[in-house]
Amino acid sequence: MPDNSHSVKQLSVQNLSVRFPTVRGTVCAVNGVSFELSQGASLGIVGESGSGKSVTARTLMNLLPRSAEVSGGVEFEGADVRRLARERVKHFWGVKMAMIFQDPMTSLNPVKKCGTQISETLRYHLKRDRKTARHEGIDLLNLVGIPEPKKRFDQYPHELSGGLRQRVVIAMALACDPSLLIADEPTTAVDVTVQKHLLDLLDRLRKERGMSLILITHDLGVARRRCDEIAVMYAGRIVERGKPEDLFEDPRHPYTDALLRSMPRLNTPIHSRLEAIGGPPPELINPTEQCSFAPRCTLAQADCLQSVPQLSGVIGMREIACFYPANTKRGRRALAKNRARGKTAAGLQMSARRHTSG
Amino acid sequence: MAQFALRRVLQLILVFFVVTFVAFASLKLVGDPLFNLVGVISGITEEQCEAVARGELEDTFTSGGNIGDCALIQRAKAENHLDKGVPQRYGIWVINMFRGDFGTSFVNGDEISDIIADRLPVSVRLIVLAQLIALGIAVPWGVAAAYRANRGFDKVSTVGSFALLSVPNFALGVILLYFFSLRWQIFPSRYENHGWWSEFKALILPAATLALGLAATYQRLLRTDLITTLQEDFVHMARAKGLSDRHIMYRHALRPSLFSVVTVFGVNTGALIGGALVVEQIYSIPGVGTELVEAVLRNDPPVVVALIAVVAVGFVLVNFLVDLVYAYLDPRVRSA
Amino acid sequence: MNVVLDEAEAKKLGCIFWLAVGWLGVLVATTSFAPLLPIEDPSAIATGPARSGPSLDNWFGTDALGRDVFARTVYGARVSLVVGFVAIAFGMVVGGTLGIIAGYFKGSIDLIVNFAFFALLSFPGLVLALLITSTFDRSLRTVSLTLAVLAVAPIGRLARATTLLYGEREFVQAARVLGARHFRIITRELLPVVMIPMAALALLGMGVAIVAEGGLAFLQLSVEEISWGVIINDGRGIRDLQENPHVALMPIAAMFITILSLNFAGDRLRDYFDVRETAF
Repeated sequence: MPDNSHSVKQLSVQNLSVRFPTVRGTVCAVNGVSFELSQGASLGIVGESGSGKSVTARTLMNLLPRSAEVSGGVEFEGADVRRLARERVKHFWGVKMAMIFQDPMTSLNPVKKCGTQISETLRYHLKRDRKTARHEGIDLLNLVGIPEPKKRFDQYPHELSGGLRQRVVIAMALACDPSLLIADEPTTAVDVTVQKHLLDLLDRLRKERGMSLILITHDLGVARRRCDEIAVMYAGRIVERGKPEDLFEDPRHPYTDALLRSMPRLNTPIHSRLEAIGGPPPELINPTEQCSFAPRCTLAQADCLQSVPQLSGVIGMREIACFYPANTKRGRRALAKNRARGKTAAGLQMSARRHTSG
Repeated sequence: MAQFALRRVLQLILVFFVVTFVAFASLKLVGDPLFNLVGVISGITEEQCEAVARGELEDTFTSGGNIGDCALIQRAKAENHLDKGVPQRYGIWVINMFRGDFGTSFVNGDEISDIIADRLPVSVRLIVLAQLIALGIAVPWGVAAAYRANRGFDKVSTVGSFALLSVPNFALGVILLYFFSLRWQIFPSRYENHGWWSEFKALILPAATLALGLAATYQRLLRTDLITTLQEDFVHMARAKGLSDRHIMYRHALRPSLFSVVTVFGVNTGALIGGALVVEQIYSIPGVGTELVEAVLRNDPPVVVALIAVVAVGFVLVNFLVDLVYAYLDPRVRSA
Repeated sequence: MNVVLDEAEAKKLGCIFWLAVGWLGVLVATTSFAPLLPIEDPSAIATGPARSGPSLDNWFGTDALGRDVFARTVYGARVSLVVGFVAIAFGMVVGGTLGIIAGYFKGSIDLIVNFAFFALLSFPGLVLALLITSTFDRSLRTVSLTLAVLAVAPIGRLARATTLLYGEREFVQAARVLGARHFRIITRELLPVVMIPMAALALLGMGVAIVAEGGLAFLQLSVEEISWGVIINDGRGIRDLQENPHVALMPIAAMFITILSLNFAGDRLRDYFDVRETAF
């Protein structure tokens, strides 16, 4: 059953770019991002701070500040989302598409009761009367696994624990039964023990409701088991995309590769050092025409500094934006060359520990 | 919450006593109240009276048309407790006041409770009206300015609110009086009270005079706090819920942004009860302020102290209400 | 959010700030050197026809006694500025010191000082001024000091709040750990940061003091010298307003521009050190 529904295209993002003019120059937060999402599928967007994953989500949700310059197309269930935003269409965001944020401590209004914040959406979008909205709100609290939903409904956010609050936030987002839920680092701010419960909850709700999910996280491990597909973002671009198992078993983009190496794993020997990614973080203000990861990449060659590698490969299977993918013949040759030189084309010193790469 | 409320109540009670005591003590410096009671013969000294008792002086003094004797002066002193020290007199005054006895004016013998009953309602109506007008203007104005901060409307309205803040209220009073009353004759130029409608009309101009400056103050405060609130995650969340901007501004962002406004509102209301004197003078309003000025000028200590006490009580009460409003605005205060 | 979203607003004081400062500079210069400038004696009567409008001889016209309103406005500015300056300087020294001490040492000192501020605030300001000026005299010194007393509480509360805010910050803690004495921490570490909001409030407060002096003059309880309040009060009778409104309006305008300048300068200064942005 789930496989059938996956084939229906729900969301399509084409060549999306977002720029913010600032005093110091234009910040290119998102640079030509494209992806598609099928009905009921889940996509993980993984990247570090500043990689553009949150800005992408906020573009979909029409949450960007007015100074943002957006180009590209976003189509959702046949509707042009950017046009809906321009025409200030009501009852779309929050109804068809909903979002939950990172920090449950701050994403609930401290002066309103939890219940009011849930039923408010029902009343605003679906024109429920006070009583019905209350009943449905309590049902939602029940659905997201909050004990004593009737009591919680009338409590204020500060009376609830972080995990419960994030459940309230999820209930809020689910109120109007959206067909796409965007979760922006939903578990980053809660205890590790609570993380799993919340992720399981999101997974269960998605499957029960046939809802699609975009899970944004900086933690590859979080995305691994919950997503049908993972897109790795770096400096506003998708640099690699594929099925979680492929990505984890056989990372191709040097950034993904480095990211996996910097993660502690069960099978790494005790006391072995984790590998940090060397070099400076990407320049987002007025970036030059080159692979953004090149300055930090151990495989970087001269042509990496000349043009931007485009995402290519078999759509739906595996796509990489790299001239010298890691774990391939080209990549191994590039690494050997750099190692022989002692530094990369971008000038990064090759340290002795990085030899495993390739 | 209970402990918090108790602390506030104690603090406010203390404020009340300090303010009235300072007023009471400082009035000893203001001329000689005995003079107003018995006239120029108040100049009779203790030594002179002792001399009378010893039979060295005749017990009839004539001075500036007043005739009196030592007994008269002693009686006047005793009746008004002028023979006792300041702390004692203050104690007597406080006890009497809690019994509802505010004493009488030294100058014209009026019951002070009558004066207060007469003057206070007018002042209260003026202030309530002024505050309502101020909030009625400031809230939508502040919301509109913060909604698109640093853009066209906000920039214009910043200049506007600064202009309003920079007009002294006596100047504004004169200007409004000149145009709306003398020139266009929309509102009366003096206070009148033939039924509530005529009083309402007469209070509009003075209330507006007070309100415009207040509105500008509140607008500035609300705008700043709103801009801070609008950066909060829950505002983004509300936007993600697809609520309209208006709904977000008024239902989500406004309430957590009202703290500064409410604080200043409290401080202002107290100060306005006695502080609206200039406006009351311009429009000849028989309020507490006018009476206070007159009482100070005619050297009538019991009236001055009683009115300052009224102002202090007003300040204390309003600020206590403000604390309750805090608790309403922010549920976290309630459980603190 | 991942990206720092600066609004395209650069940190600068802007031309209005400098315009305001310019006006204040001109005003201070003119009034300081008023006796040296070729203007009429402000008290001389019949310098022109009485109640005449602005002309080349009398730029701001004359009042009911034929006194030159321009000369009076210039000389009036001296008194108003002195009152405003003295009041705020005193308020900053006394209120600032008390506020910083209360905020730094906390405990019972803080309790007492904060309470005193609160009590002072609960006294209707103009009434206090009224009491003092009617008790003592109406000299420039008394009026200035009266308004100075009124300035203590608001400035002190701000100083206290700012000190409380910064008192626990790392740079103060660091100084404390390094063994710096209280006096040194207060003067070297806290004073510079507390001064910024205080300076901004001082500019706004100066405007308030000038207005308060005008209010006292309105009740005929201000200084005997010529001040803006005194001139405005001279020209506010119904007849004056209808026949020669310039007598009241010219000093009102001067006062308005001055206070506007003070407010703008103060506000810009505050914004300059504390930039905020919005979600929309």
